[in-house]
Amino acid sequence: MAQNYDIKGMVSKIKSLRKDAEELKKISGGIPAVEKNADRILADVRMLEIDIVDAAELKS
Amino acid sequence: MNNTEYWNPVLETLPREKLRQLQLKKFKEIFTWGYEHSKFYHKLYSDAGIQPGDIKKFEDIKKVPKMEKSMMRNAQGPTKEPFPYGDVLCVPLEQVTAYRQTSGTTGQPIYQADTWQDWELGTEAYCYALWAQGYRPGERIFVPFGYNIFVAFWAYHYAGEKIGCEVIPGGVLDTSARILKMKELKATAMGATPTYILGMAETARKMGIEPPKDLYIRRITVAGEPGGSVPVTRQRMEDAWGAKVYDEVGSTEIGHWGWQCLHQAGLHVNEAFYLVEIEDVATGETIDEPGRRGKMVITTFGRLAQPCIRFDVKDIIQWNTQQCDCGRTFRLLDGGVLGRADDITKVKGVLLSPLAIEEVVRNIPQLGNEYQVIVTKKGDIDDITLKVEILPEYKKDEAAIKAKLADQLRITTNLGYNIEFHEYESLPRSQAKSRRFLDQRPH
Repeated sequence: MAQNYDIKGMVSKIKSLRKDAEELKKISGGIPAVEKNADRILADVRMLEIDIVDAAELKS
Repeated sequence: MNNTEYWNPVLETLPREKLRQLQLKKFKEIFTWGYEHSKFYHKLYSDAGIQPGDIKKFEDIKKVPKMEKSMMRNAQGPTKEPFPYGDVLCVPLEQVTAYRQTSGTTGQPIYQADTWQDWELGTEAYCYALWAQGYRPGERIFVPFGYNIFVAFWAYHYAGEKIGCEVIPGGVLDTSARILKMKELKATAMGATPTYILGMAETARKMGIEPPKDLYIRRITVAGEPGGSVPVTRQRMEDAWGAKVYDEVGSTEIGHWGWQCLHQAGLHVNEAFYLVEIEDVATGETIDEPGRRGKMVITTFGRLAQPCIRFDVKDIIQWNTQQCDCGRTFRLLDGGVLGRADDITKVKGVLLSPLAIEEVVRNIPQLGNEYQVIVTKKGDIDDITLKVEILPEYKKDEAAIKAKLADQLRITTNLGYNIEFHEYESLPRSQAKSRRFLDQRPH
């Protein structure tokens, strides 16, 4: 199958999404609207990790 | 080939050896999680003398004790803390955002806790199924099902939305109102149990609506019963609706682990999300070769609130001999879930699978879709009664049909039956799981 996607690039962006969402949560001062939406983002980031990162990081 | 043929080509076409490596890594993660966060799993594994560092290679997985429904049931309940999940819960109660429960078909229901991330995981797994079955943005899905405390069709709904389909919840409407709404809105796809799909078509025809001609449904996902993987039952549904029918399997404790793709060649196991092992029922030996039946032992990867690790489901399955033409590397099961180890029972000394009876009944076009099997004991001898419905236009041919049915049953199951013909639409119909096999023998 021709792979015209950039796995390394996706892994890097997914990791920075996690970092950003976690930092957002940290600086929210406990504002529920920020914390809870950040939690939802992090749940979706976890799906991206399951879909892409976990397989990409297998030892070859 | 473009990247939209699969929901996720990265996992769905992962080479087999990589997939196995991924499964081992994920098994270690969930095993460690259960060991460290659940009193139930910690005790189960400590009693067996096994701990996370002991799982080094794939073969070590088999050393991990299996979990059964009754064990989980005993760890939960009204007196167990945190209420009601007890020792199986792996996260603080305030992280639980979803409650569902099993139907209780085999006893007291299991309470299932999920975090939002767990719920997303179930939805994600279902996206793989729907995408493989041809669902795309623009599909208008109708869900003719009353969503409730059971897990059924919730993930179908959420995955449909996530894919970008338009989802119409048909919850509390009755069957006629659902059919009229599907007609009014020109719904193109739906999901329900096989029994209800067939029942809806009967109702539509009584309303003067011919589903293939007057409705717009072209894609149906069935779940909750094995009918989607029984060729004669699937054919009946496809003929009744003029639509393609695809099977999907899952359960409350496990999630959505298997589905047919557009090729309908068997049931793909989503091996990136689940580990399916097949064991010989008698010896417990692992079955890796195709074509040999055994019972399923399954692990869900990454479900954190209430993990499902080496769950002895007692479903009977077998690997398919062929690779699917779709290009996915996920293995295929031949014929879907073939029955339950619990259901395969000895009658008159012969092993009987209720699904074999369904295949015979639904292969006779003069009979309706419903049937019921009742096993009793007369003195020391088992007695089987099969109740079927004859279509009104064939009542005059009852004797010939009865002879044909008895003949086919004897060839397929090696048993003789008391065959009762009932009026069309007189046998019970269900929207949820149907119970057609009633063993009334004293045990």
